[in-house]
Amino acid sequence: MVATYQWSLIWEHRVDFLNGLKVALEVSFVAMVLSIAAGILLALARMSKPPLSWLAAAYINVFRGVPALVSVIWVYFGWSLLLGISFSVFQAGVIALTLLYGAFIAEIYRSALEAIPRGQREAGLALGMSSVRVFGQIVLPQATKIAIPNIGSMFIGMVKDTSVFTVIGLLEVVRVTQNINSVTFQPFVLYTAAAGLYVIAAFAIDFIFRAIEKSLTTPPKGRIAHAMHGRRRRRVERVVRDYQAATGGA
Amino acid sequence: MIDGAPQESLARSPDGSAVVELRGIRKSYGAKEVLHGVDLTVHQGEHVVIFGPSGSGKSTLLRTINLLEEPNEGSVRVLGVEYGPGLGGSEKRGGPLQLRRQVGMVFQQFNLFPHLTALDNIARPLRSAKRLSRADADKAAAAALQQVGLLDWAAHYPGQLSGGQAQRVAIARALSLDPKVMLFDEPTSALDPELVGEVLGVMRQLAESGMTMVIVTHELNFAREVGDFNVFMDEGLIIESGPRGFFETCSSPRTKRFLAAVL
Repeated sequence: MVATYQWSLIWEHRVDFLNGLKVALEVSFVAMVLSIAAGILLALARMSKPPLSWLAAAYINVFRGVPALVSVIWVYFGWSLLLGISFSVFQAGVIALTLLYGAFIAEIYRSALEAIPRGQREAGLALGMSSVRVFGQIVLPQATKIAIPNIGSMFIGMVKDTSVFTVIGLLEVVRVTQNINSVTFQPFVLYTAAAGLYVIAAFAIDFIFRAIEKSLTTPPKGRIAHAMHGRRRRRVERVVRDYQAATGGA
Repeated sequence: MIDGAPQESLARSPDGSAVVELRGIRKSYGAKEVLHGVDLTVHQGEHVVIFGPSGSGKSTLLRTINLLEEPNEGSVRVLGVEYGPGLGGSEKRGGPLQLRRQVGMVFQQFNLFPHLTALDNIARPLRSAKRLSRADADKAAAAALQQVGLLDWAAHYPGQLSGGQAQRVAIARALSLDPKVMLFDEPTSALDPELVGEVLGVMRQLAESGMTMVIVTHELNFAREVGDFNVFMDEGLIIESGPRGFFETCSSPRTKRFLAAVL
């Protein structure tokens, strides 16, 4: 049998495909924000004293081992039975990803936080800053700079993991592809398109995270980073000019 | 514990009031005790220099003054307020934030914040510690940079500064909080030899302005020059201390051996 490939199907269903990608990115983005917050807290717990550090270590080791497919079924069907709440598919996807990726990001942040020299914290404390402010303004920004490339990889992983949420009926890329395939019977064409979408998304995410990474290096590297830093530099220059004007110095 | 309590340190400057009083300071890491009951008094306007071999506990002693090292025993009094474990009494202790807002510290490794510009290295802690508005903190930071001759470098990041410039920014940062006493922990030890001079120059200026200073240093010529009171430490104890002229008048063989080896 000679197969005929109807490549035009991709263009015909472009809106459906892009909507699927949009859903995948939305779920991943919300989950990433939550995972970073959870990851930082878990990393701090992991670095604190027992028994808190043991609990954090146990959580991290357990949830790094759970596949996304199991996680989402557990949350969507299991939790709703247990708690009597029924999550939307979007919510279930976000929770499932956050449970897993919070554990990964905790380890990323732990190594990043440990890489910050002790003197940074000591200098902040010696300047009369509270521990919380030293963490928030001195240690965390520097650790985040170290963590960013790995968080980018995690985000790409999250977007790909959304593909298994097709089992709970989330209208992401794979679910959309299945739906179109069920009426057109063109799996090769349609799944090629799906794969292409994931790859393009991965490239775009990589590009964005590189830009963020460069803008966080100080001094900033590259044109985008410089543009993002322009405001900060102009503020400092204005402060200097104002000071010189006020004191009559040249 | 308070061995030899009324020592020369109390008699040396009767009119200057005590800014820092350490009494019977003991500090252990695990089973290893590194300070074995040390007393030190620093008076208003005085420049105390501390020197001694590596591992003698001089940096640890300095760091107990702003509680970066919490002593296991002993009294840390700054401007009359007890911040340490104290001497047995149930005296009310001041908090570390209150203490550190009156004590400036300069580190061997500068410890500038690499993600902030020179200006923000100064302004950010000021806003946090002194609750200044952004505009006031910026202004104070600019004034501090001007004081060390680096106002033109305000927009630069620590990575763009030479070691000497970085240490001068660090000094400006500590000064911006308007401290009552400045602590220097080997401030020139991490610098290339040709950059030591500019940092010592700033410190000399500061000394001449009457700032109370405690300096741990290996720069003995500088110590001899600015030191009003000299302290020689070894193995967690003050071996010998004395006023100006100490380098000539010291009597302990260990002090003499150290000075002979280093000078």
